[in-house]
Amino acid sequence: MIMSNRLPESSSEVVDRSKPIRFDWNGKKMKGFEGDTIASAILANGDHILSRSLKYHRPRGVLTHDFWDPNLMVQVGDEPNVRAGHRRLEAGMKISAQNVWPSLKFDAKAANGIAGRFLTAGFYYKTFMKPARLWPVYEKVLARFAPGGEVDLNTPHGYHDKRYAHPDVVVAGAGPAGLAAAIAAAQCGASVLLVEHEYEVGGHLLWGTDDDRAAAATLLAQAAAAGVEILTNSTVTGRYEDNWLGIAQRSHPIAVERLIKARAKVLVVAAGLIERPYVFQGNDLPGVMTSGAVSRLINMYGVKPGKCAVVLAANESGDQAVEDLKRADVEVARVVDARGSTTVNCAKGSRTRIKSVEVSDGSSIDCDLLVTAVGWTAPTSLLNMSGDRPVYDAAAARFFPNSPPDNVLATGGITGDGSRDELIAHGRATGELAAGRANAARHRIQAATASAAAVAGDEPEYPSDNRAPLTRADHPELHRSSTHGLVDYSEDISSKDLFGAAAEGFDSVELLKRFTTATMGPSQGKLETVNTVAILAEARAETIEQVGTTVWRPPYAPISLGALGGRVFEPVRVSSIHPWHEANGYTPILAGQWVRPEHYGDPHAEVRNTRTNVGITDVTPLGKLDLQGPDVPKLLSQLYTNKWMKLPVGGVRYGIMCAEDGVVLDDGVTARLGEDHYLMTTTSSGAGGVWNWVENWLQTEHPEWQVHVTPLTTGLTSINIAGPNSRKLLSRLVDCIDLGPGAFEYMQVRTGTIAEVDNCIVWRIGFTGELSYEIHVPSGHGLHVWNALLEQGEDLGVAPFGLEAQRIMRLEKGHFIVGQDTDGLSKAPTTGMISLLKLDKDDWAGKTEVAWALEDDYPVIVAVQPTDPKIVPEEACQILRDGTREIVGRITSSRHSPTLERSVCLAQVSREFAVAGTTLTVLLANGERINARVMEHHAHFDPEGERLRG
Amino acid sequence: MLLVPCPNCGPRNATDMNYRGEAHSRPDPDAATKEEWRTYLYLRDNPSGWLRENWYCSSGCRRHFQLERHTLTGELRNPPLPGRKTAGA
Amino acid sequence: MGKSSKLARYSAAGLFWRGIRKQSWPRVWRQPAMKSTYDVVIIGGGVHGLATAFYLASNHGINDVAVVDKAYLGSGGSGRNTAIVRSNYLTPEGVAFYDRSLDLYNSMSADLNINVMFSERGHLTLAHTDSALRTMNWRAEVNKLQDINSSLIAPEEIKKLAPSLDISTDTRYPILGALYHPPGGTIRHDAVVWGYARAADSHGVDLHQQTEVLDILCEGGEGPEGKGAGGRVIGVRTNQGDIHAPVVVNCTAGWASQLSNMAGVRLPITTHPLQAAVTEPTKTFLPTVVVSGSLHVYVSQTDRGELVFGASVDPVATYDQRGTLQFTEELAGHVLELMPGLSKMRLMRQWAGLCDMTPDYSPVMGPTQVDGYFVDVGWGTYGFKAGPVSGEQMAASVANNNLPELIAPFALSRFTEGVLVGEKGAAAVGH
Repeated sequence: MIMSNRLPESSSEVVDRSKPIRFDWNGKKMKGFEGDTIASAILANGDHILSRSLKYHRPRGVLTHDFWDPNLMVQVGDEPNVRAGHRRLEAGMKISAQNVWPSLKFDAKAANGIAGRFLTAGFYYKTFMKPARLWPVYEKVLARFAPGGEVDLNTPHGYHDKRYAHPDVVVAGAGPAGLAAAIAAAQCGASVLLVEHEYEVGGHLLWGTDDDRAAAATLLAQAAAAGVEILTNSTVTGRYEDNWLGIAQRSHPIAVERLIKARAKVLVVAAGLIERPYVFQGNDLPGVMTSGAVSRLINMYGVKPGKCAVVLAANESGDQAVEDLKRADVEVARVVDARGSTTVNCAKGSRTRIKSVEVSDGSSIDCDLLVTAVGWTAPTSLLNMSGDRPVYDAAAARFFPNSPPDNVLATGGITGDGSRDELIAHGRATGELAAGRANAARHRIQAATASAAAVAGDEPEYPSDNRAPLTRADHPELHRSSTHGLVDYSEDISSKDLFGAAAEGFDSVELLKRFTTATMGPSQGKLETVNTVAILAEARAETIEQVGTTVWRPPYAPISLGALGGRVFEPVRVSSIHPWHEANGYTPILAGQWVRPEHYGDPHAEVRNTRTNVGITDVTPLGKLDLQGPDVPKLLSQLYTNKWMKLPVGGVRYGIMCAEDGVVLDDGVTARLGEDHYLMTTTSSGAGGVWNWVENWLQTEHPEWQVHVTPLTTGLTSINIAGPNSRKLLSRLVDCIDLGPGAFEYMQVRTGTIAEVDNCIVWRIGFTGELSYEIHVPSGHGLHVWNALLEQGEDLGVAPFGLEAQRIMRLEKGHFIVGQDTDGLSKAPTTGMISLLKLDKDDWAGKTEVAWALEDDYPVIVAVQPTDPKIVPEEACQILRDGTREIVGRITSSRHSPTLERSVCLAQVSREFAVAGTTLTVLLANGERINARVMEHHAHFDPEGERLRG
Repeated sequence: MLLVPCPNCGPRNATDMNYRGEAHSRPDPDAATKEEWRTYLYLRDNPSGWLRENWYCSSGCRRHFQLERHTLTGELRNPPLPGRKTAGA
Repeated sequence: MGKSSKLARYSAAGLFWRGIRKQSWPRVWRQPAMKSTYDVVIIGGGVHGLATAFYLASNHGINDVAVVDKAYLGSGGSGRNTAIVRSNYLTPEGVAFYDRSLDLYNSMSADLNINVMFSERGHLTLAHTDSALRTMNWRAEVNKLQDINSSLIAPEEIKKLAPSLDISTDTRYPILGALYHPPGGTIRHDAVVWGYARAADSHGVDLHQQTEVLDILCEGGEGPEGKGAGGRVIGVRTNQGDIHAPVVVNCTAGWASQLSNMAGVRLPITTHPLQAAVTEPTKTFLPTVVVSGSLHVYVSQTDRGELVFGASVDPVATYDQRGTLQFTEELAGHVLELMPGLSKMRLMRQWAGLCDMTPDYSPVMGPTQVDGYFVDVGWGTYGFKAGPVSGEQMAASVANNNLPELIAPFALSRFTEGVLVGEKGAAAVGH
């Protein structure tokens, strides 16, 4: 194994030759060094084709050798789309090329290239219209051309935590200006997070002169000394409202990739510049590279990029590449200086590499490397996201920031040109300004917070921006030569495609982008946007300013779903009795956030036991609000449809709540525990919403009412004890509460001690239709009371029942469930509880609409029994007008009743069909139509309520 | 993410809050015509500009308060002052 | 379908010959000068506005029509949605309406002579709770009655359709079942816009981009400047000059309520952003559209291999379309709940569009209390799906100055009458 393109060791390189690394490239064993990028290692081994293009499957090699290089997307193990120009080589990596079939060397789809003339951008819109059945076939073929890597569906989720950071200043980019800004801000007392996209800090100093590298090392040391926190191989991916920043931290000791969310008081954008490719015929031949790619390969990785080079230089970066090439012993056959009037017309090559360059002066030069240095793209993404609209400066041939908000400052190459020292000076001034503004912001936040400590000292003045701007060096505008070439490498979009699309009428930037898909690939326009705009300007015979540009959207660099998702953190709620359920063979069911026992084996047996003996069930998820104060009755009267001013101490009442549009919001019972003390219960799913609703009325409409609200849903464990033996069972556990039929009646409440637990609440209600008590005990003792009930009730036949049995019993009893038997349009009259709708009462929520609804037609909840008692219609089955397909209602609840040994249902039907005795036509899921009868009462079982009053 | 200045807790992430929408006043339910009541229920100014709106500090102090926010730029003005009761209005 | 004789017809043969002769294609639509008078001015150059213009010309012979847009064609919701189409709605009126839309989408490539890449790949709406299952069943039953192919399927069957889904039962949100709707799928949204634009243009409709409506001109109304109930519309004022027209149709999203105020017609709308995102491309592995209401996510994979994600609208009303980090975090978390193998896929781009939300998640369509001023607004998150049928029905509404039966449930008057549409139940994340 010889690394045939490896240069002799030099002091500038970041590879560590003492640490060789073995890896696998397309099945070939190769060797690289620690510090290599994947691409530099492959190049060092003599391979120079790393991928195939999307549409024409043309061979592709290194173009920019950085994160944005569209030609360097590879598969590494189960990870698709790895940036080989950025990612560090690791031992044992299995790397393979993407978008090749059957192999990188011989790619059968390369035939597309021949058909290129017909496959102009947007060609697919113009064909396969008829017959329609052919499109799906072609679609399947197209999908095979999908350009990315392969997702392994068994990829483990991996560990991804998240971090919240609250730095005063975040600096995006650790080139000379960014480093200087971070150092200055930290020296002014600010807490600073410096985020660098690459693995090393220093930016372009890293591939510059020895002096540059020394300066970078000094800045790094100063930053460390000033207490700057530095994150490398990390990217500020987005700037959102109020400087909320997303930071992708790709190198982390534990996390595969980590999302940092930072609320920065000031963001400093020091993103540097991205080198633009040049558009000419043959510009995607392997061997055509940007000057930065060449300098990085030689200086940082010790890789020889070719043997004989032509350099197209329009700036100092090109000049530097010439020097670097010479030092690397690469013959420089010609320097085409674009600062004069010469440029490159086109490049010609073999199937796999550039062979010659045609210069605009007519000469043709043989070479295997063409280096272009034609200008820069300012990566203004973070400024765009801050609301800034960068402006184009033709003299400098690039975009510049315009007017970002006060808490976003730009520095470095993105704002202008200068020597290393000038960049550092601008960075320092920016860092000082950032620290000053952050300090003022900190004072403001503290002053605006009632609960914060008093602010020491006067509010500091908000510093204004007095920085001397960096100058802008003149630069020739070089976008396209006299020939057509690729503009978007990842999408195989040429300048000719863009001209054609513009001529067809897709002549605004956005339409052009959408029609051709230029800038839509993985580098998201970092390399392509300015050339796209320039070529559109050329096609429209306008300037770049007139054409405008597209808006860069987040993220700045792609971020993994794993990092964004983080640890899957979706908590569940369980009651204090839950351990018992788990230990006793329960079947869990998810109900909102709660995990509840659906049953313990046989819900029908649970029903029968409860109706015969006594059952207990865990109803902790019931929403519970403790209400105290003299105005609670007013609140209840406002929120419920019925009357509350005369509920006696010790009384319990049922109520329905409506929203202001009259739609049923919730229902439940409320007990008066003491003179000014009430306990309200809500449905489980409505608990949070009702609490908000209560607070809303108290704080906005009636702030004069004296009511204090405390949510007790999880503070109290709630157990329902139901069945003929429930009184006997409970009496064994209570001391000072008289459970006698005359002493403690249906719909009454008592407080006292249960199983030696003080401060328990007992009320007598009957959701199941049985004699039953609901007890609320401090949740620390919930399990104890549950166990006591089971122990004390053994001879009474006590057994637990789950949610399913509870639902069956409530359906037998005909109680509707808000949200199941009602829906988002069900106004209160639909419940059939007309007597609870007190129109003679003063204002209550929804009253107006309920009053109007009562005058109109509305659907009604009725109890329904299928004629055939064995048929249990599926819930949501539709009820039809006989002999038609007209929907007149639907089954909302349906079960087999073990008590009645027949099917029982609730349904919503239009009023016409709500009359007792009406025969309904129900359409079953299997398409069969059956008959069912509307019952007289909601309750299928014990409609007189003798059992629960017993 | 928007920083929402709860008068009690100070600036907090909008996700700590419950957005209650455009501030509007409730007509007298006994006197309101159908049109007035349904205007209250359904019609909103929905301005592209300054909007007076209700927020609820649902993960913090549970205070309802009002803000003026610019719906295009996210700027706030006249934020509620700490310690001052802002209910009603 | 009206004849489109002026069109350079698209076809494989055309591609071939122009390739051979190195001929370019002619302009897809004209750049006409703006006239001072039109029979109809349509505000909004998205799918709705362009489809309305096209059907006005092709079905009703009304072609003295201008479509004005303040930016470029398809720059609003039409170009920002996730391009999912389906008809398995909850209410009979919703089903009938969207089914007609799906029909029009099905034949659109042939009708408009442009490949809109309708991909009938099937649409799965997952249920993670028994109440969600009940709602799916409700939809399935209503759908069945209107002959919509839509049924409840079990986890094993779901796994066959979308192997990347995790159907194990020990997850936080186990997949208990799904509503499967084979005719649902995806489409190339931009092509729909361009198809209608090109076809409308060929019928003589004038398309004016970069033309912003600054005011709607009225007379005789009870409000200031003759606006409001009882009046009639006489034209629009734009940044390119005034246009006189006896009919103005508001086909906008995001700014619908602001524009409508210019005619003195208040709308029951609040504007919220709806966000979306795409990943980098990978080889395709997800053949269907997957939606989870409980997890607020929908996902499909394009032919290019990008996963396209959407969610429910943001809770805070705003006209800002910059998007949030929060959205991408929740989205990724929920996608990984459903498809745990995707943790190494990378999100490449996020964006937002504006949705005009109405109280019942259903649109407002047809004539208003101002004579000649029509609305086709309040589409919430469903606008794209409804584009073709809305255009067809709005064209009929304008041509006949009435409210066609198919859109009668969506009249503005329902809010004063208190008769809302019942689609809200299933609409939390309805894609």
